[in-house]
Amino acid sequence: MRIVTKGRLSFRGGVHPPGSKELTVGSEIQGGPAVKQVAIMLSQHIGAVCRPLVEKGGAVQAGQKIGDSDAFVSAPVHSPINGKVKEMGLRSHAVLGRSPAVVIEAETEAATKQPSWELNGDFDESKYSSEQICEAVRQAGIVGMGGAGFPTRVKIEPNPRLPKETLIINGCECEPYITCDYRIMLEWTKQIIAGTKLARKASGCSRILIGIEDNKPEAIEVMNAALQQSANTDAIKIVPVKTKYPQGGERQLIKAILKRDVPTGGIPPMIGVVVLNVATVAAIAEAVVYDSPLTHRVVTVTGEAIANPGNYYVSIGTSVADLIEFCGGVTKKSAKVIVGGPMMGIAIADLATPITKTTGAITVLTKEQIGRAKFERRQTACIRCGRCLEVCPEYLNATKIAHAVKNNLLDVAESYYISACMECGCCSYVCPANIELTGYIKTGKIFLARQKGEMPQ
Amino acid sequence: MLSEIRVSCAPHISKPLSTRSVMIDVIIGLVPAMAAAGYYFRIYALILIPTCVISSVATEWLCNIIRKKPNSLESLGDFSAVVTGIILALSLPPSLPVWAAIVGSVFCIAIGKMVFGGLGGNIFNPAMVGRAFLAACFGMLMTSWTVPATIDSTMSKIAADNKIDARTQATPLAWSKEAIKARRQKTDDGGQSRDEGRVSRVVNDQLWAMFKGEVGGCLGETSGLALIIGGVYLLIRRTINFHIPFAVLLSAFIFAAISYLINSDAYIRPLAHLSSGGMLLCAFFIATDPVTAPLTRRGMWIFGIGVGAITMLIRIIGEYPEGVMYAVLLMNAVTPLIDRLCKRIPAGGKPSIK
Repeated sequence: MRIVTKGRLSFRGGVHPPGSKELTVGSEIQGGPAVKQVAIMLSQHIGAVCRPLVEKGGAVQAGQKIGDSDAFVSAPVHSPINGKVKEMGLRSHAVLGRSPAVVIEAETEAATKQPSWELNGDFDESKYSSEQICEAVRQAGIVGMGGAGFPTRVKIEPNPRLPKETLIINGCECEPYITCDYRIMLEWTKQIIAGTKLARKASGCSRILIGIEDNKPEAIEVMNAALQQSANTDAIKIVPVKTKYPQGGERQLIKAILKRDVPTGGIPPMIGVVVLNVATVAAIAEAVVYDSPLTHRVVTVTGEAIANPGNYYVSIGTSVADLIEFCGGVTKKSAKVIVGGPMMGIAIADLATPITKTTGAITVLTKEQIGRAKFERRQTACIRCGRCLEVCPEYLNATKIAHAVKNNLLDVAESYYISACMECGCCSYVCPANIELTGYIKTGKIFLARQKGEMPQ
Repeated sequence: MLSEIRVSCAPHISKPLSTRSVMIDVIIGLVPAMAAAGYYFRIYALILIPTCVISSVATEWLCNIIRKKPNSLESLGDFSAVVTGIILALSLPPSLPVWAAIVGSVFCIAIGKMVFGGLGGNIFNPAMVGRAFLAACFGMLMTSWTVPATIDSTMSKIAADNKIDARTQATPLAWSKEAIKARRQKTDDGGQSRDEGRVSRVVNDQLWAMFKGEVGGCLGETSGLALIIGGVYLLIRRTINFHIPFAVLLSAFIFAAISYLINSDAYIRPLAHLSSGGMLLCAFFIATDPVTAPLTRRGMWIFGIGVGAITMLIRIIGEYPEGVMYAVLLMNAVTPLIDRLCKRIPAGGKPSIK
């Protein structure tokens, strides 16, 4: 059977930034740095912050749960290494700012190696019950690893009010520079398929679609081949989708594959859909089959300034500085260190920021890569050209919202549906006047949250 | 190496696009029309276009100084004043005196644009503001037409069949108005007046000449071909959307077709309406001015249809032969309202009230 690797399915809007994936696309997943100390953030997910389960000076084992919460929407955190709790301190979080973290000092400095899982290609999920899978996912602290970090248990657990029919596995990776999901699809194929089967069992979905952008034909072929070898995969289909940013946004992926819109302000289960990232389903397989908590992840370290860009299997809690150093440091004068990719990633100032469960990449950009206009941040007047409206995948009026926020007219911003913005950055990317539309919208959302008392001042 | 890292909001890369590159695209799109102006009106074009451009740019610079901008030359780099100057020049009669062109350009930039805070703040299309000012102040100068240099003007006096007459004496739209007036007179005096069918036929016979640009008219408005080439360039470059030009031309065509079907003697053919006067320049370059046009697609349709309809109302019913300028200015005035009424609905529909 010839495998179709070209995809026409897409959504309206979006942009085509240069992929820049060639830096790391051929780099196999390698073991990460040996860490002296890790800082495990107590909030690495959407939902309640964990309360620490260990005390200063206490000994911890690798895989030991060190923070948990009783809240439904939350996920526990675990120690990736054997060691001693050095302190309970504050560490920089890319989004949340200074947040509580458990700092663990390693007993011995051992290199971080990939465990050699020996999953059978013909994995049989029938010996696990749905409840078992959900509980294992919860205990392993699995959250959406594509970036949002929503606790996976909450997503896959059957909900009688919102029955799930379709499970979409997200292998798009539309963000420029990042290749970690691509490498996972190539190298951890069996885990992904096992995890997919487990997620299907847990959620009760009948149809499974794996969406992969058509700039990754190799991944589409490898995944297809693995599916054919595996039993009971008739209902699992690989769907090549058009290469376009933000194809990997869950609402955009649903739109592309199913031609359906998730209601504004709603979530995919409202239309019977669950979307899981490929790295997340791989983690589900590890958690259920090997009872292994989520303590490591694959991180792409990239950018032209990095000496040895590549994909590394990294302990969660490793600091960005350690990771960059492990990759040979930077060879050129760099302008920005970004947690994530250049479109949605967050530029950090504190290189001690630890890697979290949702960190897919560290991108170091030089002035040349950022471009002069963006580097100098010289904004000119809006000429109302409407490009931001054209590219908005959520069909919002970005310039109106941004200017409303700029003039402190939050009610106007709300009347243009500011909260429907998913902050993909397409509007800022195309703006000829170089206006930071996404930045204004994010600021407006924070102002609104403060106004409503949902956020501290 | 990592000592001078910066933080700023995402995204950290951007498309290599600037206001300047957008304006340069528009200038490139105007090149065929300028070339046609140069071909048909020779020295007039060579004088008028640079005059308008230079005085527009100089006015913007002076306004920047008056406004105490820290860098008075900076905003000139976006070339928006150049675009305004060119469009104004192209919409002026070729024989307009240089001093009048300078007055118009100064008014364009100073009152049309800079008093609103410069580029992006103006409500009305600056070039049309300047043209309206000139039309109001110097009506005679603004309606004196010149023979295109490619026509042998000595022949016109002896030509018997009005064909050459049509090319030299007035614009096709003036003839069209003549036909309409003739028809009205005929109904008034019971059919004793001259034959309106003969008059409108003069225009209808000139369709090809009008498309090429070999007729009397404003500097850059006569050649439909050149304007369409420029317009298609802008469409291909995605500098403009097809919505506004298409809506303008479509609604004008429909109105012209209705009038033509009612009385094909008194009214000229719809295609003649589209290729005459400022219709094409307006559809591709003036109505599409992003600053003064609506943002949403639905808004663009309403705006375009409005421009086309008002133009045709003025041409067919009104007193003036040409109405593009007033149509654009009127629709500019309602653009904020259109934008407010035509809000985009998010992809997932309007959020349900909780």
